[in-house]
Amino acid sequence: MIALGLEGSANKLGVGLILHPNPTNAKASAPAQILSNIRHTYVSPPGEGFLPKDTAKHHRAFVVQLVKQALREAGVSVQDVDCICYTKGPGMGAPLQSVVVAARMLSLLWGKALVGVNHCVGHIEMGREITGATNPVVLYVSGGNTQVIAYSTQRYRIFGETLDIAVGNCLDRFARTLNISNDPAPGYNIEQLAKKGRFLLDLPYAVKGMDCSFSGILARVDDFAAQMKKGELRDAETGELITPEDLCFSLQETVFAMLVEITERAMAHVGSNQVLIVGGVGCNERVQEMMGVMAKDRGGCVYATDERFCIDNGIMIAHAGLLAYQKGFHTRLEESTCTQRFRTDDVWVQWRDD
Amino acid sequence: MASIDPNFPCSLVIDLPLPTHRLASSALQALQVDNELSPLVKREFSLTWSNDASGQSNGVAGEGQGTDDQLIILRTRYKATTNRMLRVAVNGFMESLGVVLGVMEELDVDVLEQTSPP
Repeated sequence: MIALGLEGSANKLGVGLILHPNPTNAKASAPAQILSNIRHTYVSPPGEGFLPKDTAKHHRAFVVQLVKQALREAGVSVQDVDCICYTKGPGMGAPLQSVVVAARMLSLLWGKALVGVNHCVGHIEMGREITGATNPVVLYVSGGNTQVIAYSTQRYRIFGETLDIAVGNCLDRFARTLNISNDPAPGYNIEQLAKKGRFLLDLPYAVKGMDCSFSGILARVDDFAAQMKKGELRDAETGELITPEDLCFSLQETVFAMLVEITERAMAHVGSNQVLIVGGVGCNERVQEMMGVMAKDRGGCVYATDERFCIDNGIMIAHAGLLAYQKGFHTRLEESTCTQRFRTDDVWVQWRDD
Repeated sequence: MASIDPNFPCSLVIDLPLPTHRLASSALQALQVDNELSPLVKREFSLTWSNDASGQSNGVAGEGQGTDDQLIILRTRYKATTNRMLRVAVNGFMESLGVVLGVMEELDVDVLEQTSPP
């Protein structure tokens, strides 16, 4: 079976085509094949975030040619496609809506079933497929989401999450404060600067049981940035001036340590020794490294994907959609709306037997 | 229009002719799922006949107004409390319509069959 996936919940517009080998082969579950995975990112100027209206405009401008390119790259014709999957939510309203209109239109013109997919479940299922992780504790970290998730009785349960802004949002907004480029991604640019940081500054450490909070950290590090720009911020021990690299380093160390702590607490609670990191911030090598140290100490291991799948993409929507579709799930046209809030645990995970 | 709704005095009718009934019907179904977000705006979609079909010149006088296949005009009726709300809503509609027309133009089944290598 082949599914076409459309993703556009934030500033990345992704189109992917995935092939699940014929399920009539009894229990021999061959791995999924990625036929094409194309993405186009809306990049706003330094110091600015992307707004829903401009992002939706970008998605509308590119969605048709991306679908065309995906079909061509996959060497697939309309007849080969079995279902069209789209992101039902969560995400920004206008970008979601601009993509769902295209998905509906394709479904009607091609005569194919429509499948609405939860964005978070898309990340989890693609992460599981790529890494082969069987039943990991999932850390889902991106610009819009920060959740610690574990699977239990047909639901992806949220054990812990951010109480205010996502960790990726915190990093992106700090990049705006420093006027760092948004190309290819502000989080990536912060990561590169952090590698040259030398001094660790004290930032609020806001873990609250299984949950965490990032707004206080952002406010504090923004204050530090203001002091640094005036040349008033010095390292307490050496007296040297603090640089933007030091601030990026300090911010990463603090927020990633918080994520490691809540993930470890979930691992202990669930009894798992596997961690799967998904979402755009999961690309960050430092968070993978810190999580790896913790998992190794607990006798387990970390699974992570590279930027082809960590960052929002169409293939993850196609994959999760096809898993649901193969179990008989599809979205009626009248119900093919999108929603800005779509909780991860609202999804009935029909395709898992464990 | 026959009368102006006193609660929604600003109104607009947009007629979009499309080549076939299939395209017009698909466009209507794709667009009507999303509700208008604001209670200050009301919107109605319908399909209607082109002027040619309703006339006798094309030889369908015996069928009255014509068959479903001749319903090729997508009619959208908007009414709003203020001109500003009407402008915002119609602009949003036009943007979604752009996506619909783009998909029709380049991603329809027959178009893809022509362009894809054999």
